[in-house]
Amino acid sequence: MTDVIHNLTIAIVFAPLLGCLLTGLWCRIMPTRMAHAITIGLMSLSFLLSVYVAKLVLFDGGASNSNLYTWLISGSFQFHVGFLVDQLTALMMVTVNFVSLAVHIYSVGYMEEDKGQVRFFSYISGFTFAMLMLVTANNFFQLFFGWEGVGLVSYLLIGFWFNRPAANFGGLKAFLVNRVGDFGFILAIAAVLNYFGTLDYVPVFSQMPQFAASNPTMSIVSGTSSSVVSVISILLLIGAMGKSAQVPLHVWLPESMEGPTPISALIHAATMVTAGIFMICRMSPIFEYSATALSLVLVIGATGALFTGFLAVVQHDIKRVVAYSTLSQLGYMMAALGASAYAAGMFHLITHAAFKALLFLAAGSVIVAMHHEQDMRQMGGLRKYMPITYLTFFIGALSLAAIPPFSGFFSKDGIIEAIHAATIPGAGYAYICVLIGSFVTALYIFRALFLTFHGEERMDQHVREHLHETKAVITGPLLALAVPSIILGGLMIRAMLYPTDFSLLGHSITVLPQHDVLRITAEEFHGVWQMVLHSVTTLPFWFALSGIAVAWICYGRFTTLPVWMARRFSWIYRVLVMKYGFDDFNQLVFVRGGRRLARWMYEVTDRELIDDTLVNGSGRAIEWLSLTLRRLQTGYLYHYAFAMILGLVVFLIWVIF
Amino acid sequence: MPVPVSDLMLAAPQWFVLIMTCVTLLVSLWSGKKASPWTYGLSQVTLLGAVVITALMYDQPRTVAFYGNMIFDKISALLTIFVCVITAFVLLYSRDYLKQHKMAYTEYHVLTLFSALGMMVLVSSYSFISLYVGLELFTLPLYALIALRRDAAVFAEASMKYFVMGAMASGMLLYGLSMLYGATGTVDIPSIASAIVGLPQGQHLIIVFGLVFVLAGIAFKLGAVPFHMWVPDVYDGSPNTVTLMIATGPKIAAFGLVVRLLAEALPDVHVAWQHGLILIAVLSIVLGNIVAIVQTNIKRMLAYSSIAHMGYMLLGIIAGTASGYSASMFYTLIYAIMSLAAFGLVSMLSRDGVDIQRIEDLRGLNARNPWLAFMMLLVMFSMAGVPPLAGFMAKIAVLEAVISVGQVWLAVVALLFAIVGAYYYLRVVKVMYFDEPIKKTDIELPSMDMRVAMTINGLSVLILGMFPAVLMGLCRAAF
Amino acid sequence: MYIESLVFVVFSVMLIGSALAMIVSRNTIYSALFLVACFVASSVLWLLLEAEFLALILIFVYVGAVMTLFLFVVMLLNMDIVSHEKGAFVRYLPVGIVLMLGMLALMMYVISPTHFAVLTSVQHPADYSNIKALGAVLYTQYAYPVEVTSVILLVAIIAAVSLAARHKGNRRSQNIDVQLAATKGDRLQVLKMPSEKFSGASDIGGPEQPARGE
Repeated sequence: MTDVIHNLTIAIVFAPLLGCLLTGLWCRIMPTRMAHAITIGLMSLSFLLSVYVAKLVLFDGGASNSNLYTWLISGSFQFHVGFLVDQLTALMMVTVNFVSLAVHIYSVGYMEEDKGQVRFFSYISGFTFAMLMLVTANNFFQLFFGWEGVGLVSYLLIGFWFNRPAANFGGLKAFLVNRVGDFGFILAIAAVLNYFGTLDYVPVFSQMPQFAASNPTMSIVSGTSSSVVSVISILLLIGAMGKSAQVPLHVWLPESMEGPTPISALIHAATMVTAGIFMICRMSPIFEYSATALSLVLVIGATGALFTGFLAVVQHDIKRVVAYSTLSQLGYMMAALGASAYAAGMFHLITHAAFKALLFLAAGSVIVAMHHEQDMRQMGGLRKYMPITYLTFFIGALSLAAIPPFSGFFSKDGIIEAIHAATIPGAGYAYICVLIGSFVTALYIFRALFLTFHGEERMDQHVREHLHETKAVITGPLLALAVPSIILGGLMIRAMLYPTDFSLLGHSITVLPQHDVLRITAEEFHGVWQMVLHSVTTLPFWFALSGIAVAWICYGRFTTLPVWMARRFSWIYRVLVMKYGFDDFNQLVFVRGGRRLARWMYEVTDRELIDDTLVNGSGRAIEWLSLTLRRLQTGYLYHYAFAMILGLVVFLIWVIF
Repeated sequence: MPVPVSDLMLAAPQWFVLIMTCVTLLVSLWSGKKASPWTYGLSQVTLLGAVVITALMYDQPRTVAFYGNMIFDKISALLTIFVCVITAFVLLYSRDYLKQHKMAYTEYHVLTLFSALGMMVLVSSYSFISLYVGLELFTLPLYALIALRRDAAVFAEASMKYFVMGAMASGMLLYGLSMLYGATGTVDIPSIASAIVGLPQGQHLIIVFGLVFVLAGIAFKLGAVPFHMWVPDVYDGSPNTVTLMIATGPKIAAFGLVVRLLAEALPDVHVAWQHGLILIAVLSIVLGNIVAIVQTNIKRMLAYSSIAHMGYMLLGIIAGTASGYSASMFYTLIYAIMSLAAFGLVSMLSRDGVDIQRIEDLRGLNARNPWLAFMMLLVMFSMAGVPPLAGFMAKIAVLEAVISVGQVWLAVVALLFAIVGAYYYLRVVKVMYFDEPIKKTDIELPSMDMRVAMTINGLSVLILGMFPAVLMGLCRAAF
Repeated sequence: MYIESLVFVVFSVMLIGSALAMIVSRNTIYSALFLVACFVASSVLWLLLEAEFLALILIFVYVGAVMTLFLFVVMLLNMDIVSHEKGAFVRYLPVGIVLMLGMLALMMYVISPTHFAVLTSVQHPADYSNIKALGAVLYTQYAYPVEVTSVILLVAIIAAVSLAARHKGNRRSQNIDVQLAATKGDRLQVLKMPSEKFSGASDIGGPEQPARGE
């Protein structure tokens, strides 16, 4: 079975690559229909195979870890391309492929009138390939390849409409911010290679307990010593912060909404941004040995969960609301990881992939219907024009707001309970954050719902006349995603979080006994319906419900209230609109300061010192030397013969004496 | 003492090539004017057959045959395969050129095949005698090939220069070998190696003396400074297809010469030849890269580039470790592939009887023919050592080898001059992509098989750069 | 022994002297003849080493065949005196001499008899045949290099022919089967002419002459 899994994984990973190459290399001449057929066909194949592999791995207990190709042997280091398929990988593969397939199909409708469609499909297939490489990797090296691959394609896709300045800016911003994270990540990889001598997961992880027990230290700033495990973990965390958009590296995600909506759904909600979460889960054997890093993860995650949620409340762009909500939900996942509730983080990742993709695609559906209008102030009352979209958005919103018995409820409640049970430093702060966060979550998403689908119709006459439900290729994926948004949580919670006899994650995650918060919360779990019924007595439920209520009061009933609030608490409002000043700070310090420094470097050091003196100077010197040496080549045979003999004599003297 | 049959079997690729070359010659003679398809086809069958035979034999254990004159090992097998494949590509690229310039078609093929045979003998020789006859067999046809084109005096001049200097270098090599024979009393490579171990200290001097002459001969064959003078003149003065031949296969054969003579016969005077080679390598890297900058003629530029590349290749030999030798082998093979593509493109561009001469002639090539320009781009980037192309991996390998034995300064010098070298490679790319073409007309493409071969050749530079492990593994297995 | 040393010295001096003279001589024929002297001297040296076969083969092949051919070519082409490039030769002579002396000093420093492993000469009986000994190893122990050498000769022939046969029109080749297949009709034409009355030279070659062969 191991071989079967290995071979199927090869097919799963490379089918999207094939699609990407076929469409990408002939993107100028390929008919659109054909590109659709190729990419969707190969994507479906990949999806079906990944479901089968998931069945083999999750239910039949199979696993595989083997190398496909040795890329390079350098000294004692070996770099492989190989696949590690365990429960974690299998779950991720299915999630990635499912969302990716849905987005492929949805894009057929969404991108209908776009001329660069073939290129678009090539990109998203390429993205899927890179993401699959990332999740199936059995070593850090390949993980990094996939990591950079998704970063690259994400850049290309955000800037897909490359003649829009905002799209280019967003793409660039995403790329640059990600580089900051990648820098940490690559340092972490270097540290792993340095201390373990290999980049393969299995040997690194198996050496970890011993390694941590010996408590190795390193000196980063001379005179200080820090634990190597903590340093590696924190560097990995920095990588994850970049890719998973954690505070303060979250600034790129809202800007990335300049890309086409399917991309926002595929990359910036369901797959790429979860790479960091996945990576930390994968690295759980390392993180578990560093309490410092875990606390840091917890605090960063919880902070993000609450404070980016606030930002969503003041956004007017429907996609940005969903984008900030993504930031907030990623914070939840991260916080769960910090509390060593990796399973809860993964669980929320999966349910979130479903309902957030649903929300994005529903928002996309609205945008298509509104002729690419994204401002919610120009919407309202869409409910009667677009019943399916309304229904699915409503389901997504309920799920996001963690209203039982929707999917989001189970995963988010699992996280909140886990953080409640955690005892590591920062857990108390984190619990308060995520608790308030659940109120804010409900508030912003229902605000968006009421503004978009209820109330008076604020769009202009022209748009209203053309308003109608979108096509089946768009609503189809919506309905398909609505189903898991409703039932996935209830179905999976026992196997994911509180396994008794059957566990979805199995042993793919390492949790030290003293951190195992899920075991504590498991004692209070008595079944799915019990949990739903019990929820009415818990705080998060009432927080969420009050969030909905406030949203209804402010945006459904008394629409003047928010305006009054904004005026009354103008400083809070201003802070929120300015996004806590992160962007301005970056703009001021990094962008402008960087530019000024660069200009100085350019004018003084580069142009005068390096260009004039060093480069052109040495260039001139070499050219002079070159012209001089060239004269040696006279073309006369006896000169050459003479040179040979002279050379021989010189050599004799050089070697003998 | 008859020669055992098993020995003959070990030499199968060689006698296959010998017999088939004679068959090619005879068939071409008797088929008169219709000869060319036959000549060409039979030549390719010859080389392909040799490749197949060698590949089938590849897993056989290391065996010495013909009373110590010949050896079959992984080195000889791998080098033989590459010599044959590269010669096959050379013949393919030459086909149209020969017809357009009315060069003697049969003679070209037959002499090229004999030269390839000489290289095969050389790389599998295990005594000084067979080594020397192999060397002569592979160089002699080259002298004739250069003079084969009769429409200008430059070819005769280049041929003469190459011949006279080659004779001098052969003389030096032979003199050095005779010294080694005098000191050890044997011509068999393994016996020499063991005889040197037993020599008293005072007699090392004579070995080092002979060694210097041997080094001179080797440096000449590699085209390394200060025995490089022939390289630019001969590359420039030969017909393009012959330059193609001289610039590719002989480098592989010369690598075989280096390995047999230095690594296998004289490992115990490693320090002495290391000294000599350091001088040769540094001079080659410096001079090759620097003088290439001012060249306006593309063939001369590539000639100087080849001098520099041979310097880089020697770095791995200087390391004197198994990984160093395999790195050098990798470098040589990659260089042969790059050089094949570069000169192949140059001869492909020489259409309608007009040779491409100056780098300026490549102006705006991208606008006229993007495919040719892209292939040239790949090759130039690879030669400059830009990742992820093969040239980069090859450079990394030799630098790693040289650093691992503590010669960091060598690696630094090599790197610095690699940067200098990047200038003239990139200039070709700049000329092709950013300059306005002089003629706007499209370039007529060569026939399909040549295009396919060139595409394979060009892409192999990319693929070997991204996935170097297979070839690297073969090179490692050889030592 | 005394006589052997004498012979050695005499012929060594002759070898070096004629080699020098060959280079310095400005008359090509003299050069060629000095080269012959070189060969003769070195063959005598070989005789001293009991390498009779090599000594004789040197005389036969080089002096008898190669050099004779060479002289023929030189005489045919009439390139007796090389006058150009004299300046360069003289100009570089001092440097050359310095270099040569340096080389010589190095060699004398390095090459002393103690360094060589092969010193003891074997005393062979009077009926020892050099040719037999050579033949015994050439086609067994050295079969491989000998075969390769024969290929070199083949290449030399092919190369020489392909370089020498310059132009198609220049080639004087027999086409034997065409010659043999020639019939009377190819060589002989019978023209029908009307019997001529002598009426003056003016109408010979006129248009009414039926000058067509069948």
